[in-house]
Amino acid sequence: MSSDRTFEVPHDRHYDREHHLWASCDADSGRIRVGIDAIGLESLGELAYVSLQETNTQVVRGGAMGTLEAAKMTTTIAAPVTGTIVARNDEILSQPTLVNSDPYGGGWLVEIEPAMWEADADELVSGDDLDEWVTAEVARMDAEDHAS
Amino acid sequence: MKAWRLLREDGVSAGHGLAVDETLASRVVQGAPPTLRLYTYRPHSALIGRFQDAANEVHLAYCAAHGLEVNRRPTGGGAILMGPDQLGVALTVPGRGTELRPRALMERFSDGLVRALSSVGIVATFRGKNDLEVGGRKIAGLGVYRDPSGGLLFHASLLIDLDVALMAQVLKTPFGTITDAEIATVSSRTTTMRALSGRDLDVDDVRNRVSEGFARSFDVALEPGELDADEGAAITALRHAKYDTESWVHQTTDVPDTNGSATVATDNGQLDIHVALAGRTIKAVHLRGDFFETESAVADLEGRLRWHAARTDGIRATVSRWAEATPECSLDADALTRAIIAAAEAASAAEAERDPYGCFVTPEANHG
Repeated sequence: MSSDRTFEVPHDRHYDREHHLWASCDADSGRIRVGIDAIGLESLGELAYVSLQETNTQVVRGGAMGTLEAAKMTTTIAAPVTGTIVARNDEILSQPTLVNSDPYGGGWLVEIEPAMWEADADELVSGDDLDEWVTAEVARMDAEDHAS
Repeated sequence: MKAWRLLREDGVSAGHGLAVDETLASRVVQGAPPTLRLYTYRPHSALIGRFQDAANEVHLAYCAAHGLEVNRRPTGGGAILMGPDQLGVALTVPGRGTELRPRALMERFSDGLVRALSSVGIVATFRGKNDLEVGGRKIAGLGVYRDPSGGLLFHASLLIDLDVALMAQVLKTPFGTITDAEIATVSSRTTTMRALSGRDLDVDDVRNRVSEGFARSFDVALEPGELDADEGAAITALRHAKYDTESWVHQTTDVPDTNGSATVATDNGQLDIHVALAGRTIKAVHLRGDFFETESAVADLEGRLRWHAARTDGIRATVSRWAEATPECSLDADALTRAIIAAAEAASAAEAERDPYGCFVTPEANHG
């Protein structure tokens, strides 16, 4: 059975398949802005709390760059790229639901000065591969709901 | 059949208890065995959720005066009281390859507890974000934490028994004062294995039942084991660096805790609503009034609204679904909705006024 679920997944950025974070490279500064994608937020529910590492903290792809508590789970936020946090969105620390309401805009989490963007980008999904990935994720969620 | 490790401990300190669980979660992806740890804390420890403010959730002065430990879990949810009659359950398994989403994960992990409860004739169901309930009354609190390495920690506190009067002394409630009526209200929202089974179950009996429940649920053999020296050293290091530090236990967030209340007159009598918010998320709703012919229905509604977004449309939809599911409850759903929204708005107004304890609740926290 096909799903009624639809998710906004902009094609102008990269996505971490496992942790459902997006990474967008600013062409001018080379910085990577990071946020949570709509599929990840569907699984988490409304965010109640977010903590983020301080600026100037070095992070490794897959390592913790923060923690969040959402309606459905508490989890570490895994950095999608290796580098140094050079900015963080302090507004979401006091208003975590901004991440839910504007995930690809005002709900961004951090900006990272990447150490190895090209290599990290190869590990992320983007461009023509996005539609297939989203379709597979939706099918997985449907199967899970059907089983429960 | 796969083999998992089974650890048993009793009378652990809060810092040790939590450091063991996090350490095991951080190592299970690197090859440490999946482990089910069933343990009790020394009497007593107050454990707050990952992002809670200890001063807002716990009567710190009482704890200090009576030697109770206070600490912070890596998992979310609310504050709990742990001691000899509350079984701590910590299951650590690799998270990668676990494709389930959070709610499904919680249900999957809680199945072992459901089976254990069933073995003494208790039918429990998973509900909301992190509760295992019997007839709308909480019998276990649940939490899942995903370690940066991908290890998953399933945490639970199973109520074999509970000293509600002590809990009311240790944990803050929205009611402010502790009276027999408030204790009765808290009692009506929780239940225990001893109360439901009518048996004087001891912790080892329950531990065996939980162990068997998880073994059957996951089709694994649970083999009694111990922590190795390397794990022991890592646990000690984590205690010193994290769980035994003031900066961990008493950390705060930028999300304000606020409380609000509303009172409405209904055909059934006066209805008092108390709402505790964390930012724009409802941490807890408490209903009191002259109508309590259906305690389980009221507890059910409180459970549905726990960790619920404080949006008007969402509250309205949730109360409406609750009303449809509980036709035996005579409360006016519209009046109830209006009162809950009014209480939430009062809490939001308290936030705007930078008065986190606006309205009427927990005034002593201003001095904490």
